[in-house]
Amino acid sequence: MPDLSKRRDFLGLAALWSAVVAMGAALAGVMRLPKPAVLPGPLRIYKLGDPAQYPVGSATRLEAGGFFLLREDRGFHAISSVCTHLGCVVTHTEGEGFACPCHGSRFSTDGSVVGGPAPAGLPWLEIVLSPDGQLQVNAESQVPKGTRLRV
Amino acid sequence: MPADPSRSFKWATIICSVVSIVFLIAAAVRENISADWRARQAAFREILTRKAKDAAARTAARNLPIEIRQVVVPALHAVDRCVTCHLGIDDPRMADQANPHRTHPKRLLTIHRVEKFGCTVCHQGQGAALNFEEAKAEDYFWDYPLLPAKFTEATCASCHNPRALPAGSAGRLVLGAQLYEQKGCGGCHKLNGKGGQLGLPLDNVGLKTKHQFVRTNLKGSQTNWNWLAEHFRDPAGIIPGSLMPVPALSRPQVEALTVFMLSLRQRDLPAEYLAPDKIDEQYARLHPAPPDGAALYRRYCAACHDTGLFSRWDKLFQRFVPGIRNAAFVRAADDESLAVNVREGRPGTPMPGWGPKAGGLSEAELAALVAYMRSSAPAMALPAAPARGDAARGATLFAQNCAGCHGVAGQGLIAPALANPVFQRAATDAFIAQTIRAGRENTPMPAFGRAGFGEAEIGDLLAYIRKWQPAGAAAVALGRQP
Amino acid sequence: MTPTQEFLQNLKQAPRHIRESMLRNGKMPETDRERSQSTFHNVFFHLQSVRVHRHSLRFAYTFGLGLILTASFVVLTLTGILLMVYYKPGAELAYDSVKDIHFVVPAGRFIRNIHRWGAHLMVLAVFLHMARVFYTGSYKRPREFNWLVGLALLALTLGLSFTGYLLPWDQLAFWAITIGANIASSPREVTDAIGITAWFDPGKLLKQLLLGANYVGQEALIRFYVLHVAVLPLALAALMGVHFWRVRKDGGLSRDETRPAPPARIGDRDVQVFAPNKTYGLMAVVRGRTPEVGRAPEGTVTSWPHLLWAEMAAFMFTIAVTLALSYFFDAPLKEMANPAIPENPAKAPWYFLGLQELVSYSAFMGGVGIPAIVLAGLGLIPYLDRDPRGVGVWFGGPAGRREFWQSLAFGLASVLALLAFTVNFGWLRAWYPTIPQIAIIIVNPATVIVAMYSAWSLWVLRRTGSIRLSAVALFTCFLAGFVVLTAMGSIFRGPNWQFYWWPSQWPTH
Repeated sequence: MPDLSKRRDFLGLAALWSAVVAMGAALAGVMRLPKPAVLPGPLRIYKLGDPAQYPVGSATRLEAGGFFLLREDRGFHAISSVCTHLGCVVTHTEGEGFACPCHGSRFSTDGSVVGGPAPAGLPWLEIVLSPDGQLQVNAESQVPKGTRLRV
Repeated sequence: MPADPSRSFKWATIICSVVSIVFLIAAAVRENISADWRARQAAFREILTRKAKDAAARTAARNLPIEIRQVVVPALHAVDRCVTCHLGIDDPRMADQANPHRTHPKRLLTIHRVEKFGCTVCHQGQGAALNFEEAKAEDYFWDYPLLPAKFTEATCASCHNPRALPAGSAGRLVLGAQLYEQKGCGGCHKLNGKGGQLGLPLDNVGLKTKHQFVRTNLKGSQTNWNWLAEHFRDPAGIIPGSLMPVPALSRPQVEALTVFMLSLRQRDLPAEYLAPDKIDEQYARLHPAPPDGAALYRRYCAACHDTGLFSRWDKLFQRFVPGIRNAAFVRAADDESLAVNVREGRPGTPMPGWGPKAGGLSEAELAALVAYMRSSAPAMALPAAPARGDAARGATLFAQNCAGCHGVAGQGLIAPALANPVFQRAATDAFIAQTIRAGRENTPMPAFGRAGFGEAEIGDLLAYIRKWQPAGAAAVALGRQP
Repeated sequence: MTPTQEFLQNLKQAPRHIRESMLRNGKMPETDRERSQSTFHNVFFHLQSVRVHRHSLRFAYTFGLGLILTASFVVLTLTGILLMVYYKPGAELAYDSVKDIHFVVPAGRFIRNIHRWGAHLMVLAVFLHMARVFYTGSYKRPREFNWLVGLALLALTLGLSFTGYLLPWDQLAFWAITIGANIASSPREVTDAIGITAWFDPGKLLKQLLLGANYVGQEALIRFYVLHVAVLPLALAALMGVHFWRVRKDGGLSRDETRPAPPARIGDRDVQVFAPNKTYGLMAVVRGRTPEVGRAPEGTVTSWPHLLWAEMAAFMFTIAVTLALSYFFDAPLKEMANPAIPENPAKAPWYFLGLQELVSYSAFMGGVGIPAIVLAGLGLIPYLDRDPRGVGVWFGGPAGRREFWQSLAFGLASVLALLAFTVNFGWLRAWYPTIPQIAIIIVNPATVIVAMYSAWSLWVLRRTGSIRLSAVALFTCFLAGFVVLTAMGSIFRGPNWQFYWWPSQWPTH
């Protein structure tokens, strides 16, 4: 007795594979959907007004921008206020540095890690003087530690 | 060997799968490869590479990512993807390129930064779209299609006062605002709560969608601006039976008025977007400067009354419009009766009321208007009116001498209505008697005193005319003797 | 074997054991016994019986409509979930989020188109499926209850479509739903006419339950959203399960059991099989209506792979059709909803336009009264027509076929004549402007056509003495009326619901 099921069913295989390819192609298209093609939200560039309004030695927290604006006698710099561990917002204590309330990471005044689980220091953000003479921080763009804006 | 019962299903599966694969691939190609904006970004990359001065710039240009770009302005609820194709819009090096890569003309973006303003707040159009046809959106089910370049100035008025813009900017808008005053559009149209009521109010005309315009007779482009321009050229051609006079406008004037109409839009913009002059304009609306009678007259009265020195035949109304600055009239009327006429208008005639509850003018503005009218002639001490005589005889006289112009029932034909409550209230017996006696110079109203009417006839007429007086209304309302 | 060796060996064989534990069989079936096991050992496949009658696989009998419906439900569920990733159900946000899906979401536009065309296909297929089941007499004993389940599925399908229509929050959506919600409140026409609205107002209650307000706004949107993405799909899926289960338990697809069955396939041979030779049915000793009981020769084949192939073909067909349509035609999206500017004409999706035509005569009769009568009538069919003959034969035989054509002609002619009359001469209010509303509710073109159809079917009953034939007559008339009214509403009605021969003649407004 010839066993039909042992014989290769070419038509069946072709049908099966064409369907598998079609569904695979559809799945590939579908999988692209959840990844946004363009990120919502505005550009994170903040104008902070006249540099003269920030006294030397001041640290100003910009809640909307997620960074601290600090002025020392060497110039301005901006340090991100987002903890590099898991994204909580750090607090600033004059002269001591930054501390994260979530898991106890601590950072020095220049943002380097001095304690806790944070894997890296707080990033420094790009700060420039805009053409109309205002301080302008680009929160999307990081700069090497120690980059200061002299006014 | 028996036939395979599933044979046809297998074939159907193959055919349908192949069709599916074809369309999946076609859709993928259409979206990811042949999309218009990708070609435009690639072209921009070419231009950037060509213009690059050094190796670093060339590398940067070559690495320009091809991706959707957008400007998000939460304060204006704008997500504008125009910059996906207009990549060079704020790049001064692209001034010599053709659209879409060209720099924004007139360096306007140095004052209006793209990231603060976006695109659609000025240009309208569908900011979400990624191809020009749908961004322009004239036929794409979008309420505010892209404004053509010559009408774009309209949106300047969202943040600027068109009467305070510096010379050379937004010329059409400025001219349109001036024409609106000069042509006396306010005589029939209300704007910001002030104006006549013959025409429709014009507030927020610029925010109307095309479905709010009656487009039955509109030929050509179905856009709002085309409607407005065609309507300025021939109002009755767009709205049959329209009473709007056909203004003799040149093409630039039509465009300017269209721009001004499109600029009428009250958008609730955050204060940081408003120019100082716009804030001044809003302040001035709440705290008006002392009114200027001549300007008020030009704005609200001149469209019908013209200079007001003569009575004027109006083709559309089919009647004479009284000369309200006519010396003979002004001399005969006292300030109070002029004010009543202006404040309350003449119900039943095209003359609307202008008081705070109707035309929206304040008492101070009414007083300024009356003072301006008064400047033609001082009020005369009128000779006393004769005693009211026999109304029946008056009726005969009226039918013979007056009804031709004033109407048999005093309803007014080509001449003013006498059986009108406001007239009856505003006019004293002395005023009516004097008008009959001396007529009205420069108007069709003859001086019946010179045509043989004695004081007795005038008294009879007076008695007849006063029969139209609403019972007791005059004395109560005005607090004075009829 | 040391414990270490055993551990390593188990680790090596873990993949095979995982596969075996998951698939139970662990390999492609080669014998009928294994094929049967493949079916009933799998949670997805065991909804099917292990063997299926060859008659059930005949395309010309079912046109695969049930499978197409299932497939389009699957497609709609998947695309719907994908759309939910980006859709924001807020009156301020919904329209923009749909625009984003159209313009920037990867494959978003295509997926939205598929969702829309899938929905159209599903509604079309559900009507055709019902007609197929009716004309082949498949609702008869023991399948009466499944006919009722099918009616519920029809209502749920239409409900899903109706609720989904609002979600884009464009002008089309807003005004179609405004009309739909006011149809829900149309019982007020009747309560007003008999003057009891002050005490008993079901119309208002219905409308407020649907909208959460007296107008279509944010509250309505969120209600429609919840119904569309959770309540109705779950109900539909559950009832689909019941529907399938009953198909199995009621003896598979209906067929003409008076005719000799084709041979069964056992192994690789076609043989005439007699019931006693089969044993698999003993597993399901339920109510005595499983395929094997009391039937002499039966032509069955194993579900694996033959039924699976049929299902695969229907599934791929559904996908191919929706993909092709979605490639060429975008789902519509008009201006953002604006309560100040009514759409003119404001049209619901096509399958509701027949109702919308009826509603234009009387909101209550067209929107509530007649649909209720039709649903009740459809539901009663299997309990009124209990003649067991003619099951599994199209129209039940030549007499039914003749009756079908005659009724089709009568149904088309009468509805066309009535519409032509109404378009040309108006209706009661045009002649007697002061006529009370109750008279119009009772006598309007919609009720007249129902009366004509009922009279025709009663006449058929008297003439033939057959309930089955009179049911065929009535169903056919209603089908003809539905098609004509739908065409009328979709094509021949323009602004202000005026009659036009073609949309290109619509005036600019």
